Amino acid sequence: MSEIKTRNVSFPRYAEYNCAFKYIVEQALGCKYVMPPALTKHTMELGTKYSPDFVCTPFKTMLGSMIEALEAGADTLLMTHGLCRLGYYGELLEQILRDLGYQFEFINLSEYDMSKKKEYIRIVRRFNPRVNYARFLVQFMEGLRMTEYVDEITCEYYKNCGFGPSDGQYRRAYQDFLTAMYTAQGRADVEAGYRAAKRALQSIPLSKPQRPLRVGIVGEFYTAMDAFSNLEVEQKLADMGVEVHRWMNVTNQFLRYGSGQKNLRVKVRDLCQYEMGPTSTANIWYARECAERGYDGLVHIKSAGCTPEIDVMPVLQNISADYKIPVLYLTYDAQTSDVGLMTRLEAFYDMIDMRKKVL
Amino acid sequence: MEKQTITIGLPRALLYYRYYALWRTFFQELGMEVAVSGPTDRDILERGTALAIDEACLSLKIYLGHVAALVGRCDYILVPRVSNFGRHRSMCTRFESTPDLVRSVFRNSGQEFLSYEVDEEQKKDEAAAFLELGRALGRSPKDVRRAYKLAKKAQAAHYKARVQKYEQQYRRSGLKVLIAAHSYVIEDPYMGRPVTDYLKRVGVIPLRADMVDRDGALKHSRELSSTCKWEISREILGGIAMHRGDVDGVILLSAFPCGPDAMVNELIARRVKGVPMLNLVLDSQSGTAGVETRLESFIDIIRFQEGKL
Repeated sequence: MSEIKTRNVSFPRYAEYNCAFKYIVEQALGCKYVMPPALTKHTMELGTKYSPDFVCTPFKTMLGSMIEALEAGADTLLMTHGLCRLGYYGELLEQILRDLGYQFEFINLSEYDMSKKKEYIRIVRRFNPRVNYARFLVQFMEGLRMTEYVDEITCEYYKNCGFGPSDGQYRRAYQDFLTAMYTAQGRADVEAGYRAAKRALQSIPLSKPQRPLRVGIVGEFYTAMDAFSNLEVEQKLADMGVEVHRWMNVTNQFLRYGSGQKNLRVKVRDLCQYEMGPTSTANIWYARECAERGYDGLVHIKSAGCTPEIDVMPVLQNISADYKIPVLYLTYDAQTSDVGLMTRLEAFYDMIDMRKKVL
Repeated sequence: MEKQTITIGLPRALLYYRYYALWRTFFQELGMEVAVSGPTDRDILERGTALAIDEACLSLKIYLGHVAALVGRCDYILVPRVSNFGRHRSMCTRFESTPDLVRSVFRNSGQEFLSYEVDEEQKKDEAAAFLELGRALGRSPKDVRRAYKLAKKAQAAHYKARVQKYEQQYRRSGLKVLIAAHSYVIEDPYMGRPVTDYLKRVGVIPLRADMVDRDGALKHSRELSSTCKWEISREILGGIAMHRGDVDGVILLSAFPCGPDAMVNELIARRVKGVPMLNLVLDSQSGTAGVETRLESFIDIIRFQEGKL
C-alpha cells in the first residue's frame, strides 16, 4: 500500500499573517505547517548573503526565512505570484536554494495562470491529492476570516496603544490575541480569540487627548506591514503618543479589492490617470484621504529598490505640497539601523507636534 | 485657412529605442511633426537626476532629462503607458507609471502630455490604444487606422532589417561578444554606446541578445526561465538561449539599479554555464575609464582561455 506522505509546508514570515497560513495549511489542506522562526538579524544576514545585490529587500528577507524554514524541517515551500518583481521571486528563490543544496518541493504560483479557476484545484491537489474539498472550502474561508480579524485588531491596536495604561496591559491584550490566532484549531477558537480581544481592547481605559496627533502610514506591501522589516515603526510612533493609521493590509488590498481598485481611482483621477503600480492607487488615495481628514503627517515606507513605490513618490510630494501635510520618506534595506530610524522619527514627531500647537 | 501643424515631442530614452519607427510614421502619416530630443549628454543627465527621486534607475533619470529638454518646444510630449502584452509578457512597472510620474514632476511647466495605454491583461491592445490616441488628436478613425497600419509595417521592416544585420555579424570571423541589455541602455550614447564603441575599437564584434526574431525569442526564453514575466527580459533570455553557442563571451549590461535585471541577470549567471560572462552595471559616473578597464580584462580573459593571448 502506498502511503501518501503528509507535507511539511512553509511560507516565509510575513507580518502577523503566518497564523492564517498555518490555519489554512493545517485545517483546510490537511498538511503540517512549519512555522519559520521569527525574523531576526540572522535571517537578514542569511538572505543578504545569497541574494543578488540590488534586488528589493523583501526578497532577501524571504530567502532568509525560507532557509530557516527548511532547516526547521519544511519539505514544501510555497511562493506567491505578484504584479511587480514579486512575481519573479519564486523562480529565483528556488534556484538559489537548489544551488545551496537544499532538497524540497517548491510550489510557485507564478507557474499557474491564476486567472483560471481550475488552476486553483491543481494547486490544492499538489498540496494534498486526497483533500476533502468541502472541508477545504469551509476552512479556507475561516482562514480568510482570521486574516480579517488580524487586520481589524492590528488596526485598532496601533490606533490606541500609544494611549494605554503604562503597565503594558494594552500591548498584552494584543499579544494574547495573536497567541490565540497562532494556536487556533477550529472556527470556535478563532471566534473566541477575536471576541476576547475585542472585549479586552475596549475595556482597557485610554488616556487620549481630545486632538491627538494622527499619522497615516502608506507604502510597500511587505515593508509597511511587517513590523520586523520596518523596525517596528508603527509601535515606535505610537509610543510617542501618536494615533497610527494604516489602510494597507491584506483585507483591504485583496479581500475587499480583488481585481483592480477602480473605485479608489475615482477620487484620485486628478493625481493619476492610470494605475501606476500594484499598490499605487491605494497609497495615493489613502495619502490624500489622510490629508483631507486633517492628519498631522504621513510616513511613506518602502524597501530599497521598490520600483512602484519610488514612482509614487512624486505624486506624494505633490499631495504634501497641496495639502501642507509633512511626509516622512523611509527606505529600508538590510542594514537600516534602529538608532538612525529613531532619530528621524523623533525629529518628525517634534515637527508635527510643533505644527499642531502653532496651527 | 491653413491648419496649424501639431508637433509631438518624443523623448529619446526608454521606449523610444523600441518604438521610434512606429511613433514617427504614425504621427507623420497623420500630418503631424515629430520633435525628438537630442542624444543624451551630460546636461540631460544632470537635469534628469535633479528631477528624479534619488533611488530611481539611471534610465528614468535620463528619460526625465529628455522630457525636460522638450518641454515648451512642442504641443504634446508622448509618454505612453505600456503595462503588458498578456500573461508573462509584462513591462517593468516603471512603464506603467511613467505618464503619471512625468505629469506629476512637470505639473507646473504648462506642458501638455499625450499618452496611450497598452494593457492586454485588461483587454487594451496596441491597435485600440493608437485608435484612441489618433482620435484624441482630432483625426478620423479611418485615417488613424491607415496611419497605424503603415506605422506597424514600417516598424516591422525596420526591426527586421536590423535583426538581419546582426544575424550576418554572427558569420563574421573574430571575437564575438553577446551583450544582454535593454535597447534603451545599449543604444544610449551615455550608457551602453561607450561599451560597444570600446569593443569595436579593440577588434571585438559586439552582438545584441535582444536583436533576434522576437516570437522565436519568447519561445526560447522558456529554456532558461519558465516564469520570467518581463517581455524585454524574455527577448534577451531567448536571444541568449539561441546564440550562446555562437559567441565567445556574454556581457550582462544593466543600468543601476534596474529592477528586472537585478533578478534576471542573477538567474542567467546561475543557469548559463560554460561561457565567460561579465556583469556590468552602469552608474551615472562621469568617465568611461572604469568600464574600459573591466572590458579590457574581460576580453583578455576570453583571449587567454582561447589560447590567443
